[in-house]
Amino acid sequence: MTGADQQRLRQVRAAILGNRPDTSVSTTLYPVYVAVIAAASYGVPAAQQLFRSLDGKWLAAHAWTPVGAIVAVSVTALLLALVPLVGRVHGPVVPPLPYLGLVVASPMPRTVTLARNWRLSFGGSVIGGMLVGAVGGAGLAIAKVSSPVVLLPATVCGALLGVLIAELWLHGQVHASPLGLPSGSSLPGGRRNALALLDIAGLQRQSASNATIGGAVLAGDLRTVRLDAARPSTHARHVRLRASGPLVVIARRDLLGLHRAPWSALYGLGFAAAGSAGLMLSLQSPRTPTVAPLFSLIVAYLGFGALCEGLRLHADNSGTSRLLGLPYRDTALAHLAVPLSAWALSAIVVNAGLSLAGLVRPTDSIWVLGIGVLLAGSHLMASFRGLPPVGVFGPRAGVPSMIFWYGKPFLATLVVGTATTAWAARIATTWVAFSWLLLLTSGVVAWGLVLVDKRDRRS
Amino acid sequence: MLGRRGAAIPAVHEPADHVLRATGVGKKIDEAVLLLPADVQLRRAQCVVLRGPNGSGKTTLLRILAGTMSASEGEATLDGSPVDERQDATRTAVAALIGAPATYRDLTLVDHLVLIDSTWGHVGEPADDRADEILELLEIDHLAERFPHELSSGQQQLFHLSMVLVRPSSILLLDEPEQRLDPDKRELLTRILLDRKADGSGLLIACHDPAMTDALADTVVDLQSA
Repeated sequence: MTGADQQRLRQVRAAILGNRPDTSVSTTLYPVYVAVIAAASYGVPAAQQLFRSLDGKWLAAHAWTPVGAIVAVSVTALLLALVPLVGRVHGPVVPPLPYLGLVVASPMPRTVTLARNWRLSFGGSVIGGMLVGAVGGAGLAIAKVSSPVVLLPATVCGALLGVLIAELWLHGQVHASPLGLPSGSSLPGGRRNALALLDIAGLQRQSASNATIGGAVLAGDLRTVRLDAARPSTHARHVRLRASGPLVVIARRDLLGLHRAPWSALYGLGFAAAGSAGLMLSLQSPRTPTVAPLFSLIVAYLGFGALCEGLRLHADNSGTSRLLGLPYRDTALAHLAVPLSAWALSAIVVNAGLSLAGLVRPTDSIWVLGIGVLLAGSHLMASFRGLPPVGVFGPRAGVPSMIFWYGKPFLATLVVGTATTAWAARIATTWVAFSWLLLLTSGVVAWGLVLVDKRDRRS
Repeated sequence: MLGRRGAAIPAVHEPADHVLRATGVGKKIDEAVLLLPADVQLRRAQCVVLRGPNGSGKTTLLRILAGTMSASEGEATLDGSPVDERQDATRTAVAALIGAPATYRDLTLVDHLVLIDSTWGHVGEPADDRADEILELLEIDHLAERFPHELSSGQQQLFHLSMVLVRPSSILLLDEPEQRLDPDKRELLTRILLDRKADGSGLLIACHDPAMTDALADTVVDLQSA
């Protein structure tokens, strides 16, 4: 980067700003200020409450053991593995389209023109990591799981993690380039090299996607967000859907869809297995922390959701000319056959394995099958909820009401599933809790069907 | 019946004898007039072409007659009963292509046709063959294993037409089916629709192509600008 390049960039920025004052420093610092306030006001109390609910003695006994370290490293490695995938869809260097067309496309080096965007993302990632570390450390200290000394290493570790995340994020963006890497170049080869390898077509694609997703989020249109973020299918095109009965062909369609999205299928089955295992283990002792079924349900909800793409596509298609010969509601229910079967299969296999190891009872699989119906109901709700009402965006409503509106299916799963599972672990007559699970689940399913019918009437 | 410049066209089911009628049908939303009152009657083996400038309400009238939109005034009926897409009788009789139809981004073209045909109760090898034959009929069989997002706009239009043609119906409602098609494909489409009419299907088409209108129309309804 030469002094002349820097000078030219300053001139460009001056031309872009015109007569307006340069507020870049304040607009950069304001989100940091808000994040620090939010971390102190909400993050620390939530973290210490979480660690208290986990049973401090149990956590203190397990957190600092080799098994605890392996779990922590594994979870961190898994999260870090996901970061480059995020970078492929939305990288850290995404300037607005006019800047790309007028400045980045010019002969000026990309290491100069893109440096500011990179610095902002890098700084955000490091500060975010520091805050997460500090919040976690403060939570551990206040909950008396460890001494206050933990705050310093937790914050430093968080910052280092932030650096690593930023580098992997950029790495993912460079690898997503439509041009591919030039022959002979490899990554990581230094940040300057990485910025120089970002091509204009890839940057424009991500920037356009950024604008679309940003608008869709503001409008509450999650469908557009999902379709824009997901790469279209091109896998296994030679495998054909074979004709069969009207309901069976819908299930076959969904199986073919999963075959064409193998990572989604693997992720769905893996999370379904992990979630069902967690739920079965949560039933074994009245001393199991309530957070155990809660986390298991979060994992299960994500896994079941990955298997529900056919259901979501059916909901996406409402409002268009209908060509299928099945009623709308029947088609929606037929789309649940594959995720429910996959859930049941994973629950039975996991139960068999854990039963042989003596960790759970064979009858615990019945509980998890009931949870599967709850997940089906909540995904019906999630797929057919449509766009939020105008009131949710009103000046009086605010962000919490919008999050609540979107989160209703998820919250219904967590509240019903956690409450009944934790209760079942604490009472001798499990069938009473199971009856309540079925009763509340039928309410969630009925709610989902009401939303399906409402969407049917609107389309 | 011939397709692909001489290839055999798959047999369609025998269309039933239906009467689709709009009597004084108009549409207003608040003060905005989308469609001035219009009368249309469509019988078996008949083609009615709707003409009119942009904004005259052709698409609105098609939507009302497809049972996906209610009229503000007048009455739209199928065999004397109100047209409502949620009724099985309406869905069985009327196939509509008004705007882009629903597609699944993880299915190829041929998969879509098999799916549609199966949900109408056609199973087994003949249904698989029918899907191939419909694609061949529209001369897009070489695209059978493409996904919808891999098509050009003209190919998309032919694919959408194939989805409407593959499902059984007695009445076809098509909104500007000629759009984005080259002259050769317009001619092919005209021949396919003439065959459908000869087989007994009723066709109600909004169309801006004079040659297609001349070839297909038994009746032309000119809508006034709303």
